[in-house]
Amino acid sequence: MPAYYLEILILLLGFTMLGIEAFSSNRSRSGIAVLGISGLFVVLLFLIIAVPSSEVPYDYWGIYHVDKWALFYKAIAILTTLLVLVLAKDFSSAFKKYTSQSNEFSGIGEYYCLPIFVCAGLMWMASAKDLITIFVSLELVTIGFYVLVSFMRRNVGSLEAGVKYLVLGALSTGFLVYGIAWIFGVTGHFDLSGIAEALNSGEIEKKPIIFAFALLMVGLGFKVAAVPFHIWVPDVYQGTSMPITAFLSVGSKAAGFIVLLRVIEPFLNSPLTSSSVILILSFLVCVTLFFGNLVAIKQTNIKRLLAYSSIAHAGFLMMALPAMESGFHSKLIGPSPMESISFYLAGYLLMTMLCFLVITIVSSLTDGENIDDLRGLGARSPLLAFAMLVGVASLAGIPLTVGFFGKFLLFNIAIQYAVFSGSWYIVAFAVLGASAGFYYYFKIIRAMYCGGAEQDGDQLALTISTLSRVVIIVLLAGVILCGVFPKLILGFL
Amino acid sequence: MLDQYLPVLMQLSVATGFAVSTLLISVLLGKSAKSNAIKDSAYECGMLPIGDDKPRFSVKFYVIAMLFVIFDIEVVFMYPWAVTFKNFLANGQAAMVFWSMSGFVGILLVAYLYALKKGALSWKS
Repeated sequence: MPAYYLEILILLLGFTMLGIEAFSSNRSRSGIAVLGISGLFVVLLFLIIAVPSSEVPYDYWGIYHVDKWALFYKAIAILTTLLVLVLAKDFSSAFKKYTSQSNEFSGIGEYYCLPIFVCAGLMWMASAKDLITIFVSLELVTIGFYVLVSFMRRNVGSLEAGVKYLVLGALSTGFLVYGIAWIFGVTGHFDLSGIAEALNSGEIEKKPIIFAFALLMVGLGFKVAAVPFHIWVPDVYQGTSMPITAFLSVGSKAAGFIVLLRVIEPFLNSPLTSSSVILILSFLVCVTLFFGNLVAIKQTNIKRLLAYSSIAHAGFLMMALPAMESGFHSKLIGPSPMESISFYLAGYLLMTMLCFLVITIVSSLTDGENIDDLRGLGARSPLLAFAMLVGVASLAGIPLTVGFFGKFLLFNIAIQYAVFSGSWYIVAFAVLGASAGFYYYFKIIRAMYCGGAEQDGDQLALTISTLSRVVIIVLLAGVILCGVFPKLILGFL
Repeated sequence: MLDQYLPVLMQLSVATGFAVSTLLISVLLGKSAKSNAIKDSAYECGMLPIGDDKPRFSVKFYVIAMLFVIFDIEVVFMYPWAVTFKNFLANGQAAMVFWSMSGFVGILLVAYLYALKKGALSWKS
């Protein structure tokens, strides 16, 4: 089965679900979610089993590229969407309060369908090696998110988040298109290999190509939530529904990073642009690490905290980008920047989804999204509290979790690169950020175990569906096992 | 150099001339009647020119407009496809060119069925 069938399968799945939503007389929509979850699981199996290794790497008509990175990020996209649907299923009871007064049109069916189409966009992004394909797939993702972010129609916060995401998203798209136009104007190519050739040909000027690169970085920086293009992140994460926050935080970021990695590679390897690109990237890394981690300290709303944590993780991930410079490549000991970033993103998927699953279950019952609402969780539900403990410890980077090993790989690259080029300031900002992380992540743990529940309302029994229980245990095992045996993920790279 | 702007000048004079002459002819030939406030007001497709600047429209207008744009774009994409169709046939890529358009139309067909079933085109519900 050629690899491009995977996206077609995903689309067919989405259309089937949409058709059932429109034509089924059954009012309950949970069947659609189950179909989506199982369908995504089947496609994931196809991705692992059915793509012949003779087709990797393979290039279809220059617009669709299959290599091991593409397949890895496609798997991340499918897994993320699958977990988002699990979250959405748990969230549906809280969700119905905000969509419609009568139960006539809750829209919950579409809420399960749209992530599938976004998933197809994320998968195309993983295969895009051409600026046009990148743009089209990115728009497919973004337009899906515009709808999903503002899906809770009767909730003012959700609408506000939707408007902010729409306006800022359109702005960043404008920057991206303008950058693409400049790159085409300067190099005459849309495909990245053509751009690389043009950059090394010595026939183009430096100023316009750096201008074009800067414009591209604005557009992509918005996607991966890098400071100073992060303004939308806290408000949108806080306003929108929990499953979509998780989807934005993992899916959008992972796909943004594969595109970012592919786009900056020719620019980093060309002697014409290399030094300026490294300067731009180093600046972005430092401000992202500094701002994301330090502002997170003050947050009391748990979604806002995770939003700043998502910015901070973007900073850690970008730390490895300058090290993709060609002169440094042969000197690096250990996994390459591309491998380390991919490992970190896979781990980030596991630990973030674990945290969001716990918060979704707790908040759909009590409607509270503050750190204080987790008080006494250790006594109320030991499983949920332990899952949250492991997830948060992994986000902070405690040894024996996948988050520790991810940070270890990235620091390894950053320190070796600092020895090579003298950019110790990046390492300094990363150390500062990582230590601040311990403080704000541990606030959550303190609330869960040392807070003590006293109000009667906190004693409501937490019901966990069997599906969520299984998923929590699988994710929990994943976070710990991949932290102890990193080969489980690195083996795929 | 300036003579390439001659068509622009001609365009300008024709436009001005047409406006002036129509107004003149209507004054000369038309029957003059008593003017009143309604007759002197600006004509705007039958709507009252003075009133609330944010009238409330039914949301159905937007749904119909959106559907119109979508199917309009579908036709726009079919034109270049139809133009290059013969070239692809000559290259022996008939299956590819046929299925690519079928896929595109198929996606829109499913979307259309969904919209139809959801009552996007029924005005009364």
